[in-house]
Order: sequence, then C-alpha cells, then structure tokens
Amino acid sequence: MNVFTCENNLEAILTCIYDAWASKLGHRNLRLMLEPVLEPELFCDYIHTEPDSEKVSKVIRSIWKKISAEAWQMVYSCAMSCVPEKPDIIYRFLLYGFAYGRRALEMLQEPAVMEFFALDRRVTNEVHHYREFIRFSSFPGDVLVSHISPRSDVLTLTAPYFADRLPSEHWMIIDDNRRTAVVHPKDEDFYLTRLDPEEFSRLSIPDRKDDPYPELWKGFFRSVSIQARENYRCQRNFLPLWMREHMTEFQ
Amino acid sequence: MEIKHQSLSLQEKLNILADAAKYDVACTSSGVDRKGQKGSLGNSHAAGICHSFSADGRCISLLKILLSNDCVYDCKYCINRVSNQTTRATFTPEEICTLVTEFYRRNYIEGLFLSSGVVRNPAYTAEQMYRTLYLLRTRYHFNGYIHVKAIPNAPAELIEQLGYLADRMSINLELPTTESLRRLAPHKSPASILKPIAQIQHGIEDYRLSIGKDRRMERHRTNRYLSGTIFETVPKQRLEEKAVPVKTASSAPFSSQGKPFVPAGQSTQMIVGASGETDYQLLLTTQYMYQAYDLKRVFYSAYIPLNEDPELPAPDTPPPLLREHRLYQADWLLRYYGFQASDLLSEERPSFNVLLDPKCDWALRHLELFPVEINRADYSELLKVPGIGVKSAMRIVNSRRTSCLTFEHLKKIGVVLKRAKYFITCSGKMMYRIPVEEAFITRQLIGEDRRKSWELEHPDACRQLSLFDDFHIERNG
Repeated sequence: MNVFTCENNLEAILTCIYDAWASKLGHRNLRLMLEPVLEPELFCDYIHTEPDSEKVSKVIRSIWKKISAEAWQMVYSCAMSCVPEKPDIIYRFLLYGFAYGRRALEMLQEPAVMEFFALDRRVTNEVHHYREFIRFSSFPGDVLVSHISPRSDVLTLTAPYFADRLPSEHWMIIDDNRRTAVVHPKDEDFYLTRLDPEEFSRLSIPDRKDDPYPELWKGFFRSVSIQARENYRCQRNFLPLWMREHMTEFQ
Repeated sequence: MEIKHQSLSLQEKLNILADAAKYDVACTSSGVDRKGQKGSLGNSHAAGICHSFSADGRCISLLKILLSNDCVYDCKYCINRVSNQTTRATFTPEEICTLVTEFYRRNYIEGLFLSSGVVRNPAYTAEQMYRTLYLLRTRYHFNGYIHVKAIPNAPAELIEQLGYLADRMSINLELPTTESLRRLAPHKSPASILKPIAQIQHGIEDYRLSIGKDRRMERHRTNRYLSGTIFETVPKQRLEEKAVPVKTASSAPFSSQGKPFVPAGQSTQMIVGASGETDYQLLLTTQYMYQAYDLKRVFYSAYIPLNEDPELPAPDTPPPLLREHRLYQADWLLRYYGFQASDLLSEERPSFNVLLDPKCDWALRHLELFPVEINRADYSELLKVPGIGVKSAMRIVNSRRTSCLTFEHLKKIGVVLKRAKYFITCSGKMMYRIPVEEAFITRQLIGEDRRKSWELEHPDACRQLSLFDDFHIERNG
C-alpha cells in the first residue's frame, strides 16, 4: 500500500490528489492521508507531497470541466472539514466523477459518493449554523468583532454571506481554533489573515460595558419564551450546546 | 398612565412588549431573496434564517415586539385585552428603529416583526406602525426582513402603504368560525379580518403581474410533479364556501408600478383549542385560505390559558401541543405532498389520530395502493409513502437512474425505514415477511409512535440524572 500524505490545506490536498492520480499505482493500491502521520503502518510506503499551484489549478480545471461547478463547490467545502480522512474521501469521489461526469452527483447508492455527500453536508450545515449563530460585539470605533470556534474551517464559506449582509460596516470574524480572521473594512472587499498572538489577545477582550444592546438582547431572549411550552430538548436539537460558547444570550 | 409610560426604561419596555408579542407564532423570515446594498444594512434569504432558539424550542428569527400593548379591544383569549390589569407600554418609532438596526448589526436577528394592540383606534395604530417602518427603511437604511401585522379596520390606504415597506403582512384569523369569533372576540368581525386579507392579496397580484410573474405565489417545486394539489388553478374539488365566511368584494386596484408589494406573501394564524372547532374545520379553513386568498402560510397556536373566563377553557388546561403538531403535519401534507384536507379527515372522522401521524393514518386506510415499488413508482407515489419525504423521494428518483436501489441504500439516502418498510418493495421484495394487513401494521406503527407522542406531551419528563442538579453537589468542590 502506498500512502500519499499532505498538509492540512486546500492546495496541499489538491496537489496530493494530483500526485496520487499521476503515480499510476492503481487506485486500489493507494491511500491519501493528512500529515502528521501519527501511527505509521507496516508494509506501507509514505510519500510526502509538496503543494504546487500548477497541479492545483489543473485539478480544479478538470473538476469544473469533467464534472461540474457544483462538484467543485462540494470538493472545496469537504476540503474545509475537520475530518482527517477527507483527502481520501474526495479522491474516491473524484474516481466516480471523472468516470461518469455530472451524473456522479446523483449516484447516491455508491458508498464513495454517499460518504462524500455526507462530508459536504456536515460542513455546509456547520456553515449555515454560523450564519445563524455568529454574534458580533461592538468594539470602539464602530468595529464589530465576532469570535467563533468552529470544527470545520468555515471562515471563507461564511464571509461572503456577511459581506453581502453588512456591506457598510467594519467587521471581523475570528476563528479562535485556527487563529485566523476575516477582516472586512467598510465598503471594501474582505480578506483572510492570520493573527499574531499579540493581536489576538487584544481582540479577545470583549468590551461590553458601555454597550447596552447585549443586555437588551438577553432580556428579549428571556421574555420571548413561553413558560407553558418549555422544551429544552427541542432547544438543544436546534441549537447544540457546543455552539453556545460564543453566543451573547448564553453568556 | 402617562407617568408610568415615562418612567419605563427601554429594557423594561422591551421586556413587556416582547412578552406581550410572544403568543404570536409566526416568526419566519422566509419568502424573499434580496441582495445587500452598499450604504444600507441587511439582506434577505428566501429560505429564512433562524438566529436563536428560546427555552421553549421555538426559533427566534425576528425581533418580535408589539408597538404597544395598550388595547381598546376586549378579546377574551388575549393577554392585552382592555379589561386586564397589566403594565402598559408603548415604543416610539425611533426606539424601535435603533433596536432593530443595533440588534441586526450584531447578528441577533433577521429583521422586525411588528404587531400592536389597538391604541386609541385602528387608524392611529396603523399610522404609528407606518411611521416606524418608513423611518426604518428610509432614515435608518434598513434592508432586512420586515413582517408587519395589518390592523383590522384600519384604513385601506394605510394598509397599502405598509405593504410597500414590508416583506410579509399578516392578519390573524384567530378563530375559524363566525360564531366563536363573535363569542370570543366581540370587537372583530369576519368581514373586518377578511377585507384586508383580500386587499393585500390583490396588491400582491398586481405587483406580481407588473413584474411579469404569475399571479399566484410560487409554491414548493414538488408541486410541479404532482396532480390534484390544492394549488392547482382549477382545483379538482372546490370547497363549499359555507365553511368560512364569504369573501368580500375586492378593493380598487393598486397602481404599484413594479414597486415591491409584500413580496414574501401574507400569512395568518389560528388558535387551536380555545373554542370548540374540530381539526377538520381548522384544516378546511386552512385549505380555503390557501386557495381563495393565496396565503403563503397558515400558522397554528396551541391555546395557552392566560385569562379566566367562563367562555374559555379552565386556566390549568395544558396547551394542546400534540394537536398543534398534528395540524402542522397536515399543513405540510397539503403544501408539499399533494394531499387535500378531505383526504386526511372527514365529517365522520373530524379529529386526528393521537397515536399516528396523518400520513401513516391515511396510508393505513388506503392499503390498496401499497406496497409501492421503489425502483418503478413515480415521484407522487413515492411521496405518499410514510417515512419518505420530499428530499428522500427526490434522491430516490435521481439515484435509481444508474442502478437498482436496495433497502440498504434507502437507509443511507435518508428514508425512515421503521415506517416505510410496511409500504414498500425493492425489486419486488419487502424488507421482511410483512402481512399487508391494517390491524397488524397499525399495531407495529403505534408501538413505534407511542413513545414519540408521549414525549411531545411530557417534554423533559424523563431525563438523565445529573449529579450537580439532582444531588446539589457544588461544582469546583
């Protein structure tokens, strides 16, 4: 068995897929994996792949041409997931995709396609949750700052939505787990950036004392619930506990 | 009274007026897609976005408040009726505007849901609401979702103007029959409720025609593949109009000139369990409202006793949550699955089965149509199988093009086999040796279903023991 390994980012994953495909070792004889490889197996050759932008664009172009734009979007969101097996899941789907074209997206009975769909669904559901449950707090200078700790790397997938929604506001969304942030200056395009520890700690102190609205919102949140219908299980179904960490009304 | 008004802080007002508005169930922000614009705040998504879930498990999508809980009417079931001794509060339009924009910026809400008690008279109230919306849209540049209640008996011009600013409008039907309306809401008449509904319907039609769309609202795409749905332009069965008060004559046509008028359509709400209506009457009224007034949604609210009154259920009556749940299930069957009210219930069987959901119940009475072959049946037949929904039926139709489906595949596709297995075959075989017999299948299904309906009626009755809460062990030692 040959195992192709790569770092955990989009370019590396796509390059890894390209290299694995180009190796011509036979799809059955190879596997894709994220680095670091913590438990190396006997009888496996581990082949490290280096990100290469040319190979990346080739893979993207083939997905667009041979399957569809929708498939590329799904590949992208799968690559953002936190599941360590994701390169292999994407690879197994692409086998079908390149063989059957856009029809592959309807072949839900194939385990490889099904797994790919399930992974995509997990990420897009999480992205949707963050559209709903992101909370901004107001910082001095009319800057809105939000902290999230998502499982998948959702920043690039949520930012376009907020850019459309709050075009004329300064805002930023910070991923606490990955120390990355999307920054959107007023009336301009947003960009993705990495925060150094000093910036991060400066932005992590919530400055709410002079802001009356969080308290107003909490008051509203409490009064809008009907006591006779209380149902915490239903609430937990829709709003999982792990998402509540950064939500104003649960602080 | 005046002194009291002045002394209330914004927080107190918000709490009072949110508390007074919470019995209105419609909190959806759906039905309209609108892009954001530079210089203004907000956009809108047709699917609707929830922003939080309150302790009762209901979604919070909009800032649901009353403009005022001061009301001159005396509807028996309402907490804000004039004969109740509660603290009265009224927002100024500016207060509402800042609350909405500041909450929206922090992503707490998707927009505003504005209702109101009738202050002084309907015209004055509607005017205040119009001022609020006008300020919000123009001075505060708010581009998000607005749902506004039309006040019955308000002047037609004000309702029209509200319609140009709002995304959705609604007027609560509250009680589906004239008698119970007369009994419980003496100041309202069927005509005063249906007249504005018809007026808004015509406004929406004019707007839709003026931008080249079909006169009637879009419905879910599954309806295109079904025949005999309630949304067909010439419904197979026209309901007899005696079920509901007669539709009033239409008002003068608008000159909308392509300006959006209530683009997300209108909705209404009915109370379940306050008066003696049967489920059949409620469902017939629902269907009638969809067909005659082209409503986008009909909501149900389980009656929660707030006032003591000889005309009303006793104050300790638990809200009929299961009945409400069954009505919503039936409403979905009407809007997505091509059922008619008369398929589900009839004069002889006017109430829903407590133990079975309406679709299972229907399927058991029509066993001659089953079992359905998964690899052959058309979309509409698949939709009628209990345990197969709009999504899984579409997935079946798409994926069976490439190869035959088995039960294993169905499970992965998302079909609820514990219900569906009695009604389907894959390549001619059922999952187990199941006799297609009404009594047997009913017993099996009820066994599965009883737990669920019990849980609905007794939420949180059984839960896991917690060391901290039950034995009062302090955290951190």
